[in-house]
Amino acid sequence: MKGAKSSVLGFITRHVLIALAIGSLGGMLFMVFLIEFDHYTSTNAFCTTCHSMTYADESLRQTVHHDSASGVRASCGDCHVSEGLFAATWDHAMGARDLFKQLFGPDYDDPVINALHLPDAAFRARAWFRARDSATCKRCHVQEAILGKRVDTAAIHREETDGKSCIDCHYNLVHRKVPDESTFKREAWNRMVEEEHGLEPGTAAALLSGRE
Amino acid sequence: MVSFRSLALWRLILPLSILVLACPVWAAKVKLDPSHWGHPAGSACVSCHTKSSAGLTQQWQSGAHAEAGVNCMDCHQAERSDVDAIEHEGQTIATIVSPKDCGRCHVKEFTEQQGSVHAEAYAIIEDRVPALAHNIGGVPMQGASCDQCHGSRVKVRGDGTLDPATWPNSGIGRINPDGSKGSCSSCHGRHRFSKAQAREPSACVRCHSGPDSPDKEIFEASKHGMIYAAHRDEMNLDAAEWVAGRDYTAAPTCVTCHMGAAGKLPSTHDVGLRNVWSLNTPVSKRQLLVMFEDGHKLEIPADVPAPRRGTELTRVDGTVGVVKAVVPPERRRQAMSLVCVECHGKGFTDSFMSQFDSVVELYNAKFGEPARAIMDNLYREGLLTLTPFDEPIEFVYWELWHDEGARARHGVSMMSPNHAWWEGMYLVGRNFYARFLVAARALAGEQADALVDSVLSASEHHRWLDDPDQASAILGFMGGEAH
Repeated sequence: MKGAKSSVLGFITRHVLIALAIGSLGGMLFMVFLIEFDHYTSTNAFCTTCHSMTYADESLRQTVHHDSASGVRASCGDCHVSEGLFAATWDHAMGARDLFKQLFGPDYDDPVINALHLPDAAFRARAWFRARDSATCKRCHVQEAILGKRVDTAAIHREETDGKSCIDCHYNLVHRKVPDESTFKREAWNRMVEEEHGLEPGTAAALLSGRE
Repeated sequence: MVSFRSLALWRLILPLSILVLACPVWAAKVKLDPSHWGHPAGSACVSCHTKSSAGLTQQWQSGAHAEAGVNCMDCHQAERSDVDAIEHEGQTIATIVSPKDCGRCHVKEFTEQQGSVHAEAYAIIEDRVPALAHNIGGVPMQGASCDQCHGSRVKVRGDGTLDPATWPNSGIGRINPDGSKGSCSSCHGRHRFSKAQAREPSACVRCHSGPDSPDKEIFEASKHGMIYAAHRDEMNLDAAEWVAGRDYTAAPTCVTCHMGAAGKLPSTHDVGLRNVWSLNTPVSKRQLLVMFEDGHKLEIPADVPAPRRGTELTRVDGTVGVVKAVVPPERRRQAMSLVCVECHGKGFTDSFMSQFDSVVELYNAKFGEPARAIMDNLYREGLLTLTPFDEPIEFVYWELWHDEGARARHGVSMMSPNHAWWEGMYLVGRNFYARFLVAARALAGEQADALVDSVLSASEHHRWLDDPDQASAILGFMGGEAH
């Protein structure tokens, strides 16, 4: 027993103590860095440093999630980044994919390219919400507390929501309307974008396939 | 002149058209097995919509559909591939329930309605609307007025929403995303779809009122309307079947004469089937109803030889159809008269029709044809630009046939003396003599004799102008008298 104790104590040399102290400090600094990093990278200011994200910001600004009478204002990260240090860090790590595509992919800064790719982004975002049971909505919204302006709104949220997650009903809430993936029609979407930007029919398909 | 060839043609046509007119006797009951409806997801729709839109749910609940177990999904279900399909609470649905959708159960009504003047109401005017609605008004006018009656070409946007310039719309000739034409809810108010409501004259009033087709006003001013108003409680409007002369006798409504079953005459959802004349054209024509192999129909003037069975004809919407049968005006008149004789004698009926025909013929010969000939001359000589409504006389001419002329012809067709004359032919005459001719002569200048007055002198109807000495006290005194 004694021998074992002394061997443990014997292991705690000065070097080990210094290493532990540096390690702990480093770890704490790293945690602080992560917290700050997750916090900063969740702000609209950070997200919109890429021009391609300003389109999403513009649509957000038209909605009650930006301008509410109570003064509550949702940032990009409030909805799109999970709560908790590890989950948030993971989401940001996954988000690096967007950064990669922004740097090496199509020119998302171009409003036409952006609009053409928007549905795929919307489908991915919706799947993300669904996979987390709309966890980020629930940061602010408590289902039992939803009263609404009409009495029926409370009743609907109480009685008609079995097996449903917020995102199942409340999509197309903040960003440009995109149909559900099940009824989405690429041809029609392309035609709409072409009409909006005064492009020749077929331009959208060519842009998407990288021919133009 | 009737050639032997066309006589032979009539021998072919008449039995065919008798077949066409002698199908089921009254409004068809849905014959589908009830296993075709009662979609399992329907109860979830009702549960939520009772809260979210109580009004429409309540209406549905008070109607025959709910009673038969037909729920929201039975009508609103869609295929993912449908142009206007959307995802809603886990279901694939479409907002618009088109005649084709209703026709899944109401087969007879759908078949009759497709190709009728009602179903073609938008296709017929689509190319002409901009010249009036856009130039004189502006683009928003089309969606808010023209299209609300005629229907719109509903545009589904790439994001799945319906373009607000084209929807909401329940115009009767609406071109639906599924390609079918019309809107059942134009007459059958949703979501109750009450038979009684559709049988009321008010079902037609949203569109058949106002200066160019004042059918509401005409009906109300007629004996028919007067008796209807007095005996509305005896109309049996809720009856399952509604055969004039059997299920009700108090008075006719619009439906009675234009669509309803009467005696042995079957009901029809082709509202123009029993109409001999085109009454809303610059010059009225007796019309042939061409029935195509694919069930579609087309109205063509009866003054050209009737197309033979098997002939290919281009229809209003540009599609080509193969002629199956042709219903001549005589048969159409016969059908309409079958309604009349439920209450009137045959002689009475025939004599009324003769009064009607002679006023239409008078309008054509005295005003419609000469006015059009004079306008033709002015355009041909380059005295008018090709753009409609950029010269005052174009308004004058438009109102002559489209408003006043239509009013006179509708007035006489439905027995409102006031509309036949004061609101109709009197205004046509005043317009023609005191405005149209004045403007035409001014435009023609030195060519007035050749372009305007030559047209007048070719018609005996205007000879009275040559005699300036027909004194009368009509103006309140004898012209020429000393005061």
